[in-house]
Amino acid sequence: MRAAELSVQASGVATAPGRERWVLAGLLTAPGLYILIMAVVPAFLMVQLSLAHREVAGLWSPGFELTQYRQLATPLFARIMGFSLMLALAGALICVSLALPAAYFITRMRRRAQVAWLVFLLGSLSLSEVLIVFAFQVLLSTSGTLAGALTTVGLLAPGASLYPNFPAVLTCLVYLLLPYVILFFYPALSQLDPEVEQAAATMGASRLSTFTRVVLPMMRGQILTGVLLVVIFTFGAYLTPLVLGRPPQWTIAIHINNAAMGAGNLPLAAAYAVSVVAFMVALLVLTRVLSRRKASEA
Amino acid sequence: MSLSPGVLLRQGFLALIALFLAAPLIVVVSVSFNATRRMSFPPTEFSLRWYRAFFSDYGWMASLERSLTIAGLAALVSVAVALPITYAIWRYQAKVAALLAGIGGALFLIPGVVAALMLSAFWGVTGHVGRLENVVLSHAIVLLGIPLSLLMVGFRTIDQAQVEAAYTMGARDSDAFRMVVRPAMTPYILCAFVFVFVLSINEYLIAYMVAGFTVQTLPIKIFANMRQGYEPTMCVAAVIFMAMGFSAFALMSKVADLPRLMGRTRPLED
Repeated sequence: MRAAELSVQASGVATAPGRERWVLAGLLTAPGLYILIMAVVPAFLMVQLSLAHREVAGLWSPGFELTQYRQLATPLFARIMGFSLMLALAGALICVSLALPAAYFITRMRRRAQVAWLVFLLGSLSLSEVLIVFAFQVLLSTSGTLAGALTTVGLLAPGASLYPNFPAVLTCLVYLLLPYVILFFYPALSQLDPEVEQAAATMGASRLSTFTRVVLPMMRGQILTGVLLVVIFTFGAYLTPLVLGRPPQWTIAIHINNAAMGAGNLPLAAAYAVSVVAFMVALLVLTRVLSRRKASEA
Repeated sequence: MSLSPGVLLRQGFLALIALFLAAPLIVVVSVSFNATRRMSFPPTEFSLRWYRAFFSDYGWMASLERSLTIAGLAALVSVAVALPITYAIWRYQAKVAALLAGIGGALFLIPGVVAALMLSAFWGVTGHVGRLENVVLSHAIVLLGIPLSLLMVGFRTIDQAQVEAAYTMGARDSDAFRMVVRPAMTPYILCAFVFVFVLSINEYLIAYMVAGFTVQTLPIKIFANMRQGYEPTMCVAAVIFMAMGFSAFALMSKVADLPRLMGRTRPLED
């Protein structure tokens, strides 16, 4: 409100009529062109590519055919998407149930402790997936401590490896995503008025019931969006399932990459990618509807 | 603070989370100081030989330099694009600027592999392939959401009353910019730069799909080595990544109000 008033006043005082348009043109032409060329054009290109005709040797010619999409109407594609979604939802369940209490505790800390946690989380979230996957490889390798300890206890056969398998993929994904999800919940949880919790406490609610009855309902929309975030990231994850998983655990990202870089079939890769984006948009709409309905119920 | 069971439980939970997040890093760091070529943990004998090997290897040094160059330029481009857009939103409530910011933010929300494919197809069509600038421009667009949101947070912190006062005293836009906007925004610009820089230096898939065969960045080189088998110098490269990331964010916390930057608006006492 203030900003709007200010701008009206400012344009009266400092800017002559019509001048604003020139200033905006000057400000936005270059960034607009950059975004147009690097984001909008590639997006259209990908859709066009998915409808194009595949030629030999990794080439393609413009066209309008549904060959690639027809290729997607197979049980294999459904299985890959189904697995990717299952992995994503399992990851989301773990991440959200760890991140919510963690973020809640962090927002209630003193400033210094909060800043230390934020630096730690930002530092680990920015670490390369290459590096994390490599570290997990070292950690889970046959000669590693973890395998050694498990063998000593008798939980693991001597010489057996802790990867590649499904738990390894899931653990590494949770590792990659946990800092993101904690930081995603951080703003909303830090905005919660401490007085609400104090009020709940004076009315005799325990800390746990305050959290489950007061904090969680307020976070519903955020939680759904957090789940969506995990799903998006999981569908895009490439290195983790490739290195720590076997072919049955390969997510859609690996198949996209294989089609594009390995088989040289760019139209097929594009058709995969367009389907993934369509699926994400559908999920986004679904979470919007769900969080709105829940909000109106509450 | 009394050590009630609740407090103990809370501290224990957070300690476990911290341990989980730190464990792989501890392993890599300690293996990098190990004297033997075999990958063994816990390390048996302390040595700096792999650090010497890393810093005297031409290939590793070239990759490191390439990654630093790409990250620096990508951060520069993406902040330079985000700044006029966020300024136009804040100062003029320009709809076009909001639309541009929306597109920039949406890109951040599509799966990484899709963005990588889109951009690699784009560079393929232009016929301009395998170049360093491809990676720079691609990183800058994919990471654009970060400077957009951080700079928006920054603009919102500017005291409107102060700007208003400047205008009523007859200040022009350029004066207001110099006196109020620039000093307030400098830490946010710096943070946006550092954030994009760190993420760009760590990014693998886009760099690989856009120009990976000719422009070997540090993550691409680590991954290529991983496929060929274990080599202790890889751990050194990994440690360098970590050191850069953590020190960059520690630095950021000195320059700016980190809780606020991450979205806390409620005041936080020391």
